[in-house]
Amino acid sequence: MMEILDPTTEAATQTIAYVPRPTALQGKRVALIENTKFNSDRLLEKIGDILKAEYGVAEWRMYHKHNASVPAHAEIIEEVKKSADVMVAGIGD
Amino acid sequence: MAATLTSKRFSVKDEADAIEMAFDKGWSDGLPVVPPTEARVRAMLEAARLEPGHQVGFVTHRAVSITAEKVAINAVMAGCRPEYMPVVVAAVEGIADSRWSYHGPGTSTGGAGVLMIVNGPIARELDINAGDNLFGPGWRSNLTIGRAVRLVMRNVCGSLPGLLDRGTLGHPGKLSYVIAENEAESSWTPLHVERGFRADQSAVTVVAANGPHQFYNQLSNTAEGVLTTVADDMRISGSVMGQPTYVIVLAGEHMKTIAADGWDKKRIRQFLFEKTHNSHAHLKRTGRMSNAIVDGDEQRMRPLVGSPDDILVVAAGGRAGAFSCYIPGWGSAKSSQAVTKEIKR
Repeated sequence: MMEILDPTTEAATQTIAYVPRPTALQGKRVALIENTKFNSDRLLEKIGDILKAEYGVAEWRMYHKHNASVPAHAEIIEEVKKSADVMVAGIGD
Repeated sequence: MAATLTSKRFSVKDEADAIEMAFDKGWSDGLPVVPPTEARVRAMLEAARLEPGHQVGFVTHRAVSITAEKVAINAVMAGCRPEYMPVVVAAVEGIADSRWSYHGPGTSTGGAGVLMIVNGPIARELDINAGDNLFGPGWRSNLTIGRAVRLVMRNVCGSLPGLLDRGTLGHPGKLSYVIAENEAESSWTPLHVERGFRADQSAVTVVAANGPHQFYNQLSNTAEGVLTTVADDMRISGSVMGQPTYVIVLAGEHMKTIAADGWDKKRIRQFLFEKTHNSHAHLKRTGRMSNAIVDGDEQRMRPLVGSPDDILVVAAGGRAGAFSCYIPGWGSAKSSQAVTKEIKR
């Protein structure tokens, strides 16, 4: 018999408090996170308009990442936390 | 007493069973691994004089702490000799550096490999190949050091192909992509010295990179002649619209021709930068740049990279053959930058 060691990192446990998911979109403020890939802004605009026309959201506002290959930067996250109830993140691939 | 290794332990019947277990548990890149026993892992740590709990890097984007113990386990599995460990550690420090920006090259459909260019005395001590068959098989250090880094990305950072690593095509360099600069035969300033280190220091430069593109020029006996060929090849290559970096690897014959003409790396970079612009009209016509062609687009030029300094010139490759290559970096300057780290011993 022999013993070998695990090469993987066990996930550290942490508690994350999620905001409750809204039961309806009526009157909600929507943030659209655009990743800068070609046409992703147009796609998200369309989604924002559909959410307004068909689901009664109050407003949508678009935020732009620095570029597609990096996470949304802190300013975006902070602003969205203050000014939106719901967020749509777009992927352009 | 040596610090305890804290990784989970698994009992297996013998080496063959251990190799199969690594496949079953998804720890392997597809090739058999060397079973990571405590003795082998400790030898790795001792060679780099690191405590198992030492944090080699912290990948903010993944919220992952990469400890020396995990690097050592993966280096054993990759088949590294213990003396390779300091190179693996420096390369892992590089990919965890915020400038390398793990989030993109660790996950992107663009399929980046981690090109590692080793400079300084350690390259010769460890017999890291800088010559014949540069990117090919035959050298344990070249093939296992890069493999160890990729196993760390897989097993510690979670870049599992098809899951977090979504490379559409990837490339063979994602198994291992390690070269040394041919400092012994080159008259040029070594890459690590250009990037702020002393010649007697050892360093590794990590570049998120596509595969190598070979080019051929057996006719020219001038620097300008050889470099005209590579510029023409490079001008339309990779993603064109914004690599952060190009690496130019000049092998024996071309290196001698260019150096004999008195060109240094700075002049090579400047020439290649100037000769690789594309017109906006061409980029639009060929589906690389968005929007319709407008007046002036035929004359409006776009450089391949932001500045000449984004072209890294490396002397490496076999002595015979009028071949060299260029390697497009992955992504854009905002997505990932080449990082050089000292190899500490």
